[in-house]
Amino acid sequence: MSFIKEYKVAIPKFRITDKVLHPRLGRKGQHAICYTDEDIITLAFQAASQLNLATRNSEIDAVLFATTSPVFKNRYHASFVADLLGLNQGILCLDFGTSARAGTDALIMADKLVHSSGFKNVLLIASEVYYPKIGNETRAAFGHAAVAMVVSNEKGIAEITNTKSFSSALAEEFKYKGSSIQYDARFARTEGFKNNLGLALNESDFRAKEVAHVILHSPYAKLAFGQLIKAGFDLEAQLRKDDVEPSIGNTGACHALVLMINAIENGKGNVLIFDYLNGTNVISLSTKEKSTSNIQHSKSTIGHPISEIESYQDYLQLRKQGKFTSKGYTSVEIFSSEMISEREKNSLVHLHGYECAKCGTVYFVKAVRCNSCHHEELNQKQLQKTGVVYSVTSEYYFPNSFAPTNMVIIDLDGGGRMTVQQTDDMFPTEDNTLRIGDKVSLVYRKMMENDNKPNYFWKCVKNERR
Amino acid sequence: MKDSKRNIAIVGLGVTKFGELFHQSYDDLVRDAATQAVNDAGITLDEVQGAWLSTAFPEIGVFKGRSGMDLVEPLNLYGIPVTRVSNFCASGADAIRNAANALAAGECDVAMALGVEKLRDRSPQDSIVKMMVELSHPYFQKGFTAAGTFAVYAKRIMHEYGLTREDIANISVKNHYHGTLNEKAHHRVACSMEQVLGSPMVADPLTVMDSCPTTDGAACVIMVRSEDVDKSKHRPVYVDGIGLSISTGWDLPFFDPKHDFLSFQATKDAAAMAYKQAGITKPIDEIDLVEVHDCFSIVELLTYEDLGLCKQGEAKDMIRGKATQLGGEIPVNVSGGLLSCGHPVGATGVRMVVEIASHLRGTAGDRQVVGAKRGVSHNIGGPGAIASVIVLNNEN
Repeated sequence: MSFIKEYKVAIPKFRITDKVLHPRLGRKGQHAICYTDEDIITLAFQAASQLNLATRNSEIDAVLFATTSPVFKNRYHASFVADLLGLNQGILCLDFGTSARAGTDALIMADKLVHSSGFKNVLLIASEVYYPKIGNETRAAFGHAAVAMVVSNEKGIAEITNTKSFSSALAEEFKYKGSSIQYDARFARTEGFKNNLGLALNESDFRAKEVAHVILHSPYAKLAFGQLIKAGFDLEAQLRKDDVEPSIGNTGACHALVLMINAIENGKGNVLIFDYLNGTNVISLSTKEKSTSNIQHSKSTIGHPISEIESYQDYLQLRKQGKFTSKGYTSVEIFSSEMISEREKNSLVHLHGYECAKCGTVYFVKAVRCNSCHHEELNQKQLQKTGVVYSVTSEYYFPNSFAPTNMVIIDLDGGGRMTVQQTDDMFPTEDNTLRIGDKVSLVYRKMMENDNKPNYFWKCVKNERR
Repeated sequence: MKDSKRNIAIVGLGVTKFGELFHQSYDDLVRDAATQAVNDAGITLDEVQGAWLSTAFPEIGVFKGRSGMDLVEPLNLYGIPVTRVSNFCASGADAIRNAANALAAGECDVAMALGVEKLRDRSPQDSIVKMMVELSHPYFQKGFTAAGTFAVYAKRIMHEYGLTREDIANISVKNHYHGTLNEKAHHRVACSMEQVLGSPMVADPLTVMDSCPTTDGAACVIMVRSEDVDKSKHRPVYVDGIGLSISTGWDLPFFDPKHDFLSFQATKDAAAMAYKQAGITKPIDEIDLVEVHDCFSIVELLTYEDLGLCKQGEAKDMIRGKATQLGGEIPVNVSGGLLSCGHPVGATGVRMVVEIASHLRGTAGDRQVVGAKRGVSHNIGGPGAIASVIVLNNEN
């Protein structure tokens, strides 16, 4: 047996509406989109670093990473994020990414590893930052998010009672050598989607009457309503509407997992998920009241305060983060050293600081002796990610998509001082204007947007007023 | 030893026009300043036995100033020891310190200290800002320009001491007025409070008019031991004290919880050294004029306190009472300061010593501080990390 022990969802703060993207179509959709310095890595880290288990590195024995919008080629995202989380080297790290089904592909794999192969805790991360072509936004579903969950052999929020995958040779829309291919829609959807889903309905092990929520995640879901009824489902009572998509868009490889989490959060009972794209993944979950009441179960970030993008031009800047010319977006040459990042990752990534054994002053940057009392014994100390603004300035001449760059000197709660950039501050409002004494939190972002090398570091955001 | 005078005299002064010297090269500037200083001292280049070259940022120009060689070559000054000195904005002052030490040690009898910087062979956006973006630590301080590293002091001081935005702007108004009296200044235009406050923001709260320009220029002094002064040809000015201190790091202030952003410890430390050598105990009573490193207007205000001209938190009263204006109790930056003269980094410290020396000689023209006997020049470099204080006297 395997269980979903805990999970977190990270959704960017910014939203673009279909009204701004294409005013004349009259659509009412909305999409969560990254700030300039966010990507699949920062979203994945944001979600996973909030998990209790992921930060206790000896207990995670595999990391599975799903995305259709990779930032690396020839480099495993799973391994990269595992390292950011401080997990042990040498554990199983795999990437999944052929299609938007990658999220449930990884979940099936996680279940198999725990269920049949003796793995204890598998960290599953799905992260998606996909943008349709400029001008084509209303034709493609998109939304940015990351989901992180631990699939464990210990009891948790939900039990994974069954997982199965049904392959199909037919794909409705796909790419071949970079070109988009679309077969005849009626042929492909009948012979592909309907046949394959039919197979999954026939051969999966479930009792329709015992299912509380059915999720069918597919661009062609409406074509299959008849099949679901035939399989014994009451659409009105059992089929869950996608009530996430209107607020954040379709989050690709994350989306089936987001829907699953949404179902779990909206009541107990059995959940049955069909995730279709060039084949069907079927996952059954069971949530019982007694199991959900005594586990650490925190809500996802859906519904947190958001910021709406007001113009298409702002959206363009936000999505490609830099100077837009007729040849595309220019990238920034920035000095970024693999050696420095590796050598100093305990401090740069994991925020291990140093505390003077004598006077207790805490330093982020290591020194040979305390600058305050000159004592030479300094002990490692984990710095906190919250603090208070000591001083702040707005830099108008530092190259940045959205000048000014706000530089913030922060006294961290529990000791230590950091000086970092503010982020999520494209639209100056009272909620993101920083003054001395304001409370802030550290978030992990890209240092320079639109760069040509990975360069992630901490920035800060103003704490939301509660 | 460190608390006593070195018994050094400055006998030759040279300073080029400061500004956007598009028609003069690095070498031209070296020749101009050196020739003036040598002529002023009444000597020939052949009599110079050792030299120190101050250039802070060779990589911004055409890679000139990486070694002492770049002083020797334009002057054909071959066959003597020449060293390049680099210590951020205190580089020029440090060239003078090194020359003084060599004279005191007896390595040479006639020494040259020359500072030169050619910043305008690139556009401003292509120079120091670009260096901060592309060359510095990938994460630490990324986002700061030089202005920002001082703006965070301004913000904190305003918060703590009730300093107003107008107090800071008043420094700029004062120094731009002084600059109109200096024919060698980069900018020779007075400005109003409204103009300072209304000019484009650089780093909140500092505007363009709170910031010194990027400038080309060079300055040079010829130095000898006091006992070797020949009063028949020299108009000597004596070095009463030299202090230099690095009191914090490049990154440390931004990561050290004890750094209060209210003063520059480096200035306090350097001043303590120099004052001790000079026997100064009450700076406000014993100093007649000061050149301070007003790279940004806020820095001058902090420096009043750090140099002991007033108590901590009281700098605002000095500027409000016009004590530091020409004709006031203790004129500060009557040259126009960096705000008017501009800041060819390696040259600035030497230019300030030349300025003080000319007042002590009584040859400063329209901006002469009447009866000046003792003056102080001050530089601060890096984000408040390193400071130099030099005390000059017209009597030995």
